[in-house]
Amino acid sequence: MLSSFFKTQGSDDYDPFLITLWVLLILVVAIWVCPFIFILFTSLKTNGEVITTSAFSFPEVLHWVNYVKAWARGGFDTTFFNSAIISIIKVPLGLFISSLAAYAIANIKFKGSNFVYIMIVFGTMIPFQVMLAPLFNVVNDLGLLNTYVGVILPYLSFGIPYQVFILYGFFKGVPKEISEAAYIDGASHLTIFIKLFLPISLPVLSALFILDFVATWNEFAMALVLLQDSSMWTLPLGLMSFQGQFSSDYGQLNSAIVMTVLPAVLVYMIFQRYFVSGLTSGSVKE
Amino acid sequence: MEMKEVSPVVKEKVNIIGKINKIPFKAIHFLLPAMIVYTVFSLYPLIDVIKLSFLNWNGLSEVKEYVGIENYSKVLTQDPVFWVAFENTIIWTILSITIPPFLGFVIALSLNQNIFGKTVLRAIFYLPVIIAPIAVATMWRWMYDPFFGLFNSIFNSFGLEFLIQDWLGDKDVALYSIFIGYIWQTMGFSMVLFLAGLQGVSQTLVEAARIDGANRFQIFKYVTLPAIQPTIAIVVVLSLINSLKAFDIVYGMTGGGPAQSTQMLALWAYTQAMQIYDFGKGSAISVILLVITLMIVIPYLIWNTKKEGKSHA
Repeated sequence: MLSSFFKTQGSDDYDPFLITLWVLLILVVAIWVCPFIFILFTSLKTNGEVITTSAFSFPEVLHWVNYVKAWARGGFDTTFFNSAIISIIKVPLGLFISSLAAYAIANIKFKGSNFVYIMIVFGTMIPFQVMLAPLFNVVNDLGLLNTYVGVILPYLSFGIPYQVFILYGFFKGVPKEISEAAYIDGASHLTIFIKLFLPISLPVLSALFILDFVATWNEFAMALVLLQDSSMWTLPLGLMSFQGQFSSDYGQLNSAIVMTVLPAVLVYMIFQRYFVSGLTSGSVKE
Repeated sequence: MEMKEVSPVVKEKVNIIGKINKIPFKAIHFLLPAMIVYTVFSLYPLIDVIKLSFLNWNGLSEVKEYVGIENYSKVLTQDPVFWVAFENTIIWTILSITIPPFLGFVIALSLNQNIFGKTVLRAIFYLPVIIAPIAVATMWRWMYDPFFGLFNSIFNSFGLEFLIQDWLGDKDVALYSIFIGYIWQTMGFSMVLFLAGLQGVSQTLVEAARIDGANRFQIFKYVTLPAIQPTIAIVVVLSLINSLKAFDIVYGMTGGGPAQSTQMLALWAYTQAMQIYDFGKGSAISVILLVITLMIVIPYLIWNTKKEGKSHA
């Protein structure tokens, strides 16, 4: 198995340079893994153990009760539920309206299509962290503070630019002949979109789906401003509040971190290859 | 396939499609949902923030007083924290567009070689990117704990006591401590983009250079580096935009402290508006940051559209 690695192309000898490089990489990866191990170990220790044992010592007894306690004290029932509801509604809906818009810009001739496209792509460059106050203002004026709708709508809005940008690029690449033939045969744009474009863009859509799921699951700044009632908090807000209240309950704090992070990590591990293709399909074309 | 009698369900389906086909769908119908949401929640706030920056308003009361440029002059002349935040934002941005992309580039180059286990290595390097920044902040805050945190324990057990610091409590160190966490989180992002870019480097060209006797360094300099130039530009621009958004990680690790020494423009705008309830001043800071962002972003967009136009032609 190993025999094919560490050789330069067209050579049968092991390349010392590549082996050295590999050893260095392993060292760097060890640094990258350290935080995960430290957090995981701490999450399974009692406070006394954290204080008396070294950072990398394996927990004497796996103290799973930290997770149970942190779940209850951190109100994870509520925050988990809220995060799930928001993500489950936001992600598919956002992809749907983004792909509708991308289809129109890519496949229907209309005046100002270029302008619309530039306006939308411009949105990828706006840091919404800059606009928290006016966003609060709009949502407050609509009477939607502390509601699911009031956070889902801004989330949709800030997801649209990147998704339209990627999907437009993909739809542009679909041979014109196919959709034109269908159009001449009497199919409406909606039929062409649903029967033709959605099925063939499944790989791109799944990549965007996962990226958007993680982004939505992790979002903090907007939620901080728009969801001030603790019964509406999402996981990141719950974690932040947990840190504020129980920062010296080391074991439980780290259990809370693990529980917050785990869903996104699982999604990533299962759908890893889509992630990378989704990230790179738009930004690095040629 | 043999045609059987059409079931009522299929008939019904055909009927619906037939009806849908008769509706003259136009571009506007497709665009409307996205455009409404985008206009109300992205474009309108962008304009609203400018309007708010000329008001004296607490965000909730009926009383809104127009004060002209007073908020701006207050921010620029009477607010020492603004200038700290300004300086920190610049330091942070410069570090963000150099260190994580450089590291990402080096790692990508290494992973692009014929070595063992690169898929796993790549996955590990990328893992922190998908973790919520607020969770990264919480993790690192614990690792920086002066008494039981990872860093000080390591230094302690290796007899390197002189390196022990109050990582997030020392004014001179805190910003850089946060940035180390930021490197850990964002390096994988640059790495993945560079890996994709490296896939595009022509293997024929590399092979030709090798046959002509070019060594590893020469191949890198004359083949790989020129081919990957566009990717470098993209990574730097994306890192720049992301760095201006640095909010969660600072909020979670220090909240701008100690003594406002890690304050950033985005966070300071938030603090003014949402915690001190001075929407006018908060908005003025937002507008200043927005102008800085646009001064960088718009030239890039123009350059990019021109390039796209050329490649389509």
